[in-house]
Amino acid sequence: MKLGTTLFVLLAALPLAVRSDFVLTIFIFTFIYGILAVTFDLIFGFTGQLTMFHPAVFGVSAYATHLLVVHAGLPFWLATLPSAAGAVLLAVVVGSICFKFRLKTFYFAVVTLAFAEMIRLIVLNWNSVTNGTLGLVVSGRPTFWWPGAGWVAVRGPVAWYYVTLVALAVTVLVCVRVLRSWMGRCFAAIRLNEDLARTLGVDVFRYKLLSFAVGSALASFAGGLYGYYTGYIDPGYLGINQSMEILAMVLLGGQGTLAGPIVGSLILTGLPHVIDLRGELRAMLYGAILIFAILVMPRGIVGSLVAWRARRAA
Amino acid sequence: MTQLVLGQVLNGAIIGAMYGIIALGITLTFGITGIVNFALGEFMMIGAYATYALAERAHLPYAVAVVPACFISAAAGYLSNKAFFRFTRNNLVNGLLVSIGLISIFESAALLLWTATPLEMSYVLPGAIRLGDVGLPKMKLVVFGVIVVVIVGTYVALARTWLGRAAFAYAQNPEAAQLMGVHTPRLETAVMLYSTGLAGLGGALYASLYSLEPAMGGVYVLKGMEAAILGGIGSLMGSLWGGVILGIIEAVGSIFLPTAFRDAYGLAVLVAILLFRPSGLFGSE
Repeated sequence: MKLGTTLFVLLAALPLAVRSDFVLTIFIFTFIYGILAVTFDLIFGFTGQLTMFHPAVFGVSAYATHLLVVHAGLPFWLATLPSAAGAVLLAVVVGSICFKFRLKTFYFAVVTLAFAEMIRLIVLNWNSVTNGTLGLVVSGRPTFWWPGAGWVAVRGPVAWYYVTLVALAVTVLVCVRVLRSWMGRCFAAIRLNEDLARTLGVDVFRYKLLSFAVGSALASFAGGLYGYYTGYIDPGYLGINQSMEILAMVLLGGQGTLAGPIVGSLILTGLPHVIDLRGELRAMLYGAILIFAILVMPRGIVGSLVAWRARRAA
Repeated sequence: MTQLVLGQVLNGAIIGAMYGIIALGITLTFGITGIVNFALGEFMMIGAYATYALAERAHLPYAVAVVPACFISAAAGYLSNKAFFRFTRNNLVNGLLVSIGLISIFESAALLLWTATPLEMSYVLPGAIRLGDVGLPKMKLVVFGVIVVVIVGTYVALARTWLGRAAFAYAQNPEAAQLMGVHTPRLETAVMLYSTGLAGLGGALYASLYSLEPAMGGVYVLKGMEAAILGGIGSLMGSLWGGVILGIIEAVGSIFLPTAFRDAYGLAVLVAILLFRPSGLFGSE
């Protein structure tokens, strides 16, 4: 936790030292994807359920937040709450079906993937609401109250940097609280040995569902923020590629850790911009780095560091 | 109406056979090595482009070009196995990540070599056979026939030979199989070679019917996975049936229901299967 606070302070001080919009933009994307990766890890790394449903939560809440702002006239922050509720509802429906039938690992992944795809098809074809493939342009901005200045809109990289940093920090804090509570211990029990956990009186169904719902609720904020930051929402938000991207971030950084997904998110969002090559070669190098990283460090960067420190201490 | 439905059933069955050949590769790889080779679609793409290059640029007859195309694809599979996949045995997610990396590599290589412009081969076998009121292109029938022969052939070969018994033994219990004298690394390599070669064949056949683009594999690997699960993971004939059923569901579904949701019909059936009969339609309990 001390390390986490230090990191937060360092990151909060970064815009004072670095004025480059390029760097700040990479960090903004890192933070938003970090929210997705951390919450994915809550479900996958900590509870052991390989979900492919995250893009659906992300995309649906991006649309929902925007539509609530436009059609119901809610302010952005208020609109994220019903969106999160919607995300939880989706997660509970899909999760209940999967967990009632005790789907595990690969099969759970496939069924959540199937549901995510069906939702994507609905979003893609519901032209009157979502404008189909063309997507929606988001022109509004989140506002917040600033002492002395009243209500100000979030504008420019520095403001967005802080908004997304705080959103990520809140997400991580909630995850820490959840994981340190009895819930976290039940999640770990389910991950390590589901049958044993059941024998010991853990309500496996309920805690799997809880993990899935909490992860999805938190992930929904990433959707709202992303849509408003980029100013554009399209059905690609719900694509399978997003699942793969998030999975890559978590595995690269280290599954079952909270720092890992954020590190992975930083590397995978930064990497394509740092490699100064033409598009195809860049994608090729990206793939190669991904493969070698996972072969060299099967437990991810943070996982390997932790293991290395433990070995040195012993 | 009947003629429309009948036409769609036949069309669906042919597309479905294409899913089936990918499904066979997925089922074999997953059953033997515990890896979901998500990059199998890319090997299909390699096979397709290799066929295109050999037939259109090197002016080989199509039937001759198919064979080296399969070998090229299998060679790529062999290399990826030697370099990457063998380190992720029985680690589902790491294997998945390696596949994601491979997709990125192969797809960008194809973009560099062939650009994103769709390529089309000249007609291999023009003409159609009329079945009552339904017209079926001859090439589609040939493709369907080849795939059925290959899948049934694989099934028979594995059911009858020592290699097949070794493979089944290995799938059940790798250590026991090793103790009984099965050379397991060789078996794993063989499975990888065969499944990527099959995908290459699928691609080569695909090239004779449809236009090629570097991202073509993505859809097929998903459909192949659906088909493999539908038929039952580990069931060889199940992969053919799974593919054909999936193809027919999609084709017939889009007559009676909105076409835009074509992909969803297969998915809905898939979810139902996994919930109520997790071992698939043809898998053993």
